[in-house]
Amino acid sequence: MPRMISYRSVFFLLILVGITLGVMRLTHVERPQLTPMEAAIKDSLAPIQGVLMGISETVNQSVYSVVALGGLSGENKELREEVSELRGQLLLLEELRQENQRLRELLDYREQHEQNFRSTTASIIGRDPGNWFGIITLNKGERDGILKNMPVVTRAGLIGKVVAVSRNTAQVMLITDPRSGVGAMVQETRVPGVLEGTTSGGGATRLIHVPKDTELNAGQVVITSGVGGTFPKGIPIGRIIDISDEPAGLFKTATVVPFAELQRLEEVLIITTVLNPDILPPTEGG
Amino acid sequence: MRSFVLIGLILLAMLMQATVFSFLQVAGVKPDLILMLVVFNGFLRGSKEGAFLGFLGGLAQDIFSGSYIGLNALTKMAAGYLAGLAEARFYNESVVIVSLMTFVTSVISHGANYILLYYLDIQVPAFFAILQVIIPTSIYTALLVPLTYWKFFRSNERGWLRFREP
Repeated sequence: MPRMISYRSVFFLLILVGITLGVMRLTHVERPQLTPMEAAIKDSLAPIQGVLMGISETVNQSVYSVVALGGLSGENKELREEVSELRGQLLLLEELRQENQRLRELLDYREQHEQNFRSTTASIIGRDPGNWFGIITLNKGERDGILKNMPVVTRAGLIGKVVAVSRNTAQVMLITDPRSGVGAMVQETRVPGVLEGTTSGGGATRLIHVPKDTELNAGQVVITSGVGGTFPKGIPIGRIIDISDEPAGLFKTATVVPFAELQRLEEVLIITTVLNPDILPPTEGG
Repeated sequence: MRSFVLIGLILLAMLMQATVFSFLQVAGVKPDLILMLVVFNGFLRGSKEGAFLGFLGGLAQDIFSGSYIGLNALTKMAAGYLAGLAEARFYNESVVIVSLMTFVTSVISHGANYILLYYLDIQVPAFFAILQVIIPTSIYTALLVPLTYWKFFRSNERGWLRFREP
């Protein structure tokens, strides 16, 4: 009898694994839209995520500030009590000042490029819980006119593109995500290639399929090439730090570190309308 | 009550990973808190319960992530099952053993994740997968075990997580 139960368990397990493998394939990242259940879950969790992210940012900032203040007060013990009294207020003001500065920089950037694109500012309210994929969740969605495949940037450079939208949130695939592929080129030599991610935690990307006889050097700037249509041409991406030969021997690969600090993003710009496809002047990012 | 508390813990772990731990990354990775809960539960309750919670926890993570639904469900189910196999073999009051088991289970679970990525046509070079994800995540998660296991263990013995006969 126990043997029969065992067979039955194995049978159900195989069915479960089979169905799960099928669903996994069907729910790939390029599908047209989220299921209603997924959209509802994202929208309902968005406020909680926003609050938790806000608290985390403040605590994170506070830790840095307290460490800095701790060092100063060590030099003069009499100031310590006064410092601790003012610390709460100072931290709050510092947080607001930094947020204000970041938003002003984004606004300047948007005004600088208003001839080239229309954009909207969004805050990050969450990240993918895992370590394989580089996905961030923004606090703007369909209600704000956000659509799939819209490019996302900061003043420093390219961040990624929108891959899923619910009513109140949008998910952005970062350029470091292993599923990401961006048409790119070396700004100086105009050598084209494809920029792909590796893992979200690695922080670097790779410019692949560059013919071996082309000149690649560390320090060169990589920008979007406009090939593929998703990203307008000329957005700065990052800088080459290393070059190696691909195993097949015909191509070279360059390791590119993005200009934007993808692990420390707090606000971003979503490009909603591109007015000029050859968009940006040749800048060097951040 | 036990089921509700476990579901609540999984949701809390997922939200913590998505928010708070974005600022507490070490070597570019966050700990896998859901896996840690799954391992604890499997180790204290056996393979069947371990696999069940692993599947549910992984499924919740997949739905939250929004793509490849089932990827984490399968790998965390395997993690829960493996942790359950150790239930009767090891002394369950040793934090060192639980930490080591969490590390090994995490390596196997993330290794399975890596293989499934190939099934999904996502190619991550092995060098990056092992050194940037699998090993650092497993070490970080295992190092957090001493801070959390006792709370879970006590609750499982005489708290909200204690199993009550219906």
